[in-house]
Amino acid sequence: MANPLPRNVAAPPADAELIAAWRNGDERAATELVERHARPLARFLAGAGAPDTDVDDLVQETFVRAFRGVDRFRGQCQFRTWLLTIGGNVLKDFGRRAARRKVVPLEEGVRDRTGDPHDHAEAREAEELLAAGLQRLPRLQREVFLLRAQQGLEYDEIAGALGTTPGAARVHYHHAVRRLKEIVK
Amino acid sequence: MNEERMEQLARRLGARAAEQVDVDTVARQVVERLRAQPESRATWIQPAWLRMAATVVVLLGGGVLIGRLIPGRGPGTSNHAAHYVADDLNDLSAAELRDVLASFDDILNTDSVAVPDTTDWRELDAQQLREVLRALEGEG
Repeated sequence: MANPLPRNVAAPPADAELIAAWRNGDERAATELVERHARPLARFLAGAGAPDTDVDDLVQETFVRAFRGVDRFRGQCQFRTWLLTIGGNVLKDFGRRAARRKVVPLEEGVRDRTGDPHDHAEAREAEELLAAGLQRLPRLQREVFLLRAQQGLEYDEIAGALGTTPGAARVHYHHAVRRLKEIVK
Repeated sequence: MNEERMEQLARRLGARAAEQVDVDTVARQVVERLRAQPESRATWIQPAWLRMAATVVVLLGGGVLIGRLIPGRGPGTSNHAAHYVADDLNDLSAAELRDVLASFDDILNTDSVAVPDTTDWRELDAQQLREVLRALEGEG
């Protein structure tokens, strides 16, 4: 039966407590986990090539998959890191479906071009160059790069989420950086 | 672009998209979907069962096939083995009939078919050999 979250404590419940509560059927725990991690997940998905117009749906799908498969999460990494790797799978499936429908390729997806074109034009250009370069990397390198550079995760954490070693994660990251330097120079 | 600049840009990647996410709506829709389809196990158990069933079919089919390809492996072979080797005994020569009989030593040792035990089958003529084989087939 549901095990309601303690609401009268000062510190917010840790992810592990929320996950345990969700396993016991507490929907508020699921809602709180979504509120806590939706934006970082959206940044990761967009950085990995998700069209801006589809980010909401992809975030939603990632959470649904994560909550349904929460029994597979055994604390090998932080919940958010695990969630991001699921997001990577969701995005891959999305790309496959898009390819079958012969819509625009993922890397050329609809991106937000609104706003003042002169605002931070140089930075935006560099950002877009990097985003385009990321699409040319192998998936593993792209995800390791984003987990490290965008999300600021340690190699141990990345390795735990991807089922590899910290050394291998480091190698993937450095390969990604080297390739990106070649692409965006 | 150096690595530091690259990391700086990477931290900004997707920031705009993240700001636009309607977190409350996403949370509500996630919970509604989980509530509507609370148990996903059927979706992975079903393929698992299908794989197991396919494995059983392959194993059983393979067993039957092997039983048919290898004489003496299948059930009831001892009663009907003669059908596999002598559909028409009249077409076989004495030498061929002896070859066929040579493969039936085990059957002769265990079967209850009446065989002239005082006579070496190598000394039987073609007609006698046919009678022995027909007896093995249950026609004699």
